[in-house]
Amino acid sequence: MTTDSATKRRRLRGQVFRDTVSGYLLISPAALFLLVFSFVAIVVSLVISFSDWSPLRDEWSLVGIDNYKRAFENERFWKSFRNTGQYVVFLVPGVVITSLGLALIGNHARKLRSVFRTLFFIPVITPGVVVALIWIWMFRADGGVNELLQYFGVSGPNWLLSAFWAMPAIIIMTIWSLIGYYMIIFLAGLADIPEVFYEAAKVDGANRLQTFRHITLPLLRNPLIFVVVTLVIAAWQVFTQMFVMTQGGPASATESVQWSIFFNGFQRFDMGLAAAMSWILFAVIFIFTATQLKLFLSRQLY
Amino acid sequence: MAVLQKATRHEMEATARRSRVQALVMDTSFMALVYGVLIILAVVTVLPYYWMVINSFKTIDNFYTDPYSLWPETWSLEAYLNAVGIGRVTVYLRNSFAYSAVVLVAQLLINSLAAYAFARIQFKGNNVVFLAFLTTMMLPGSVTLIPTYVLVYSMGLANTFTGVVIPSFAGAFGVFLLRQFFLNIPSELEDAALIDGAGRLRIYWQIIIPLAKPAMITLGVFIVLAEWQSFIWPLVVLTDYEKYPITVGLNLFKDEQRVFWPYILAGSVIGSAPLIGIFLISQKFLIGGITLSGLKG
Repeated sequence: MTTDSATKRRRLRGQVFRDTVSGYLLISPAALFLLVFSFVAIVVSLVISFSDWSPLRDEWSLVGIDNYKRAFENERFWKSFRNTGQYVVFLVPGVVITSLGLALIGNHARKLRSVFRTLFFIPVITPGVVVALIWIWMFRADGGVNELLQYFGVSGPNWLLSAFWAMPAIIIMTIWSLIGYYMIIFLAGLADIPEVFYEAAKVDGANRLQTFRHITLPLLRNPLIFVVVTLVIAAWQVFTQMFVMTQGGPASATESVQWSIFFNGFQRFDMGLAAAMSWILFAVIFIFTATQLKLFLSRQLY
Repeated sequence: MAVLQKATRHEMEATARRSRVQALVMDTSFMALVYGVLIILAVVTVLPYYWMVINSFKTIDNFYTDPYSLWPETWSLEAYLNAVGIGRVTVYLRNSFAYSAVVLVAQLLINSLAAYAFARIQFKGNNVVFLAFLTTMMLPGSVTLIPTYVLVYSMGLANTFTGVVIPSFAGAFGVFLLRQFFLNIPSELEDAALIDGAGRLRIYWQIIIPLAKPAMITLGVFIVLAEWQSFIWPLVVLTDYEKYPITVGLNLFKDEQRVFWPYILAGSVIGSAPLIGIFLISQKFLIGGITLSGLKG
């Protein structure tokens, strides 16, 4: 009896040991890559940001907070922050309002629903570079956008060559390219709202606006939080549109923070400065995300 | 009395009919509005693509005399021949295919092995390590760009095929997605196999993977889309244009051929066609995956 339970215990311990070994063996390839390209990368990035490492030289040394100081004193870097801030402030509400509006309208369409969904999704699966190439032409002085404005008697600017209009042009194009993706998230959110709520509202004589304000909007809270938070994070890191369409110009008007990081790190090979800039950007993204989550999650909407 | 009752009933029926008609008219006009807005927006969405495709079939002369005609004077393959000849678009396309294929296979294999262990094996530290995996998703790409380059450069992999793909060999998102799916697979089959003495790897390969096909396809589509669209990483890690993927290649082509727009548009059509094809085939999986990650993420 006692020997029997001892063997059982021993066998169990053997099983636990075998499970631990096989568990770690199975996760080891993934763990290795994530360890190197995430955890080691963070450490490397921190070290670089306090050093003068460059692929052009063999020797390097630690320089303290010199890179951060240079970043803070860099006028062009601050301009890129203001530019990106503008981009975020206009892009995020623009995308949320248009994609939510489209989802609300599309939700009423029973027929041809999948056809519309497919059409609106095409810009999402097109590589950003191709989208940017198409819109370079659209935004020319004699481009498609101005051609269209001419119909309404408006003579449009030379969008991408104007320091004032280049950023709005990029924002408009990006909203256009993102609507389909976020529409799908909102459509799924709308589908999750039980029909009974709408029936109850109808019985109570609520109009469309009241129904939207008091039923749809509160019950779309989770998708809304997800969309706003992820969109803000992505928007702060905007790069491709600026690089392909304007190269940061005219007169630095479309230089984004990520553009500054790229320019200093990979064109001037001032990697320490670029790494310091990326940590400043990270701090900003972190503060934005934490604030939003605190705001959203503390307010009881329903 | 009876007459009065009859009259009121008659009146009531008339009112009811009127309101029904009214409601019908309201509904019909509302639906007309809905479809009207949808059609206008769909046209606005598709028009730039239509313009791209049509103009890629115009001759240079035709394009510059009439860039906004919605039909070419004659259908010409001039732009495509030049996109392939001068623009080396087929070289870039081949590279993009290779990068996407390697990352696809590596990620599906590496992520699913880890996801299986996290979902099914009660090993010590399971939860802690899984949490550590998830935290890597919170790192913005702009922070990892410089150190990833430094690491790849130090390994001597800058400007190599391996250097392009190796940072994307594993992804926490994929592990997370597959783990969620594996957790929902009933474990009876596996328990029976375990009692029969089957090893973990055999169970993973012969039971779990075949059952997880939908999740693997969903993740696969995500991986290919992300790799095909990636721009900044290949841009910084590569210096030889022969190794450029289509995204970086098209941008270079744009800088070289500023005046020959139809060539660039033909290259753009070639560069986006594979993704549109994949999307049309796998739409169901892709949209399912987006709603899943959007709502539960």
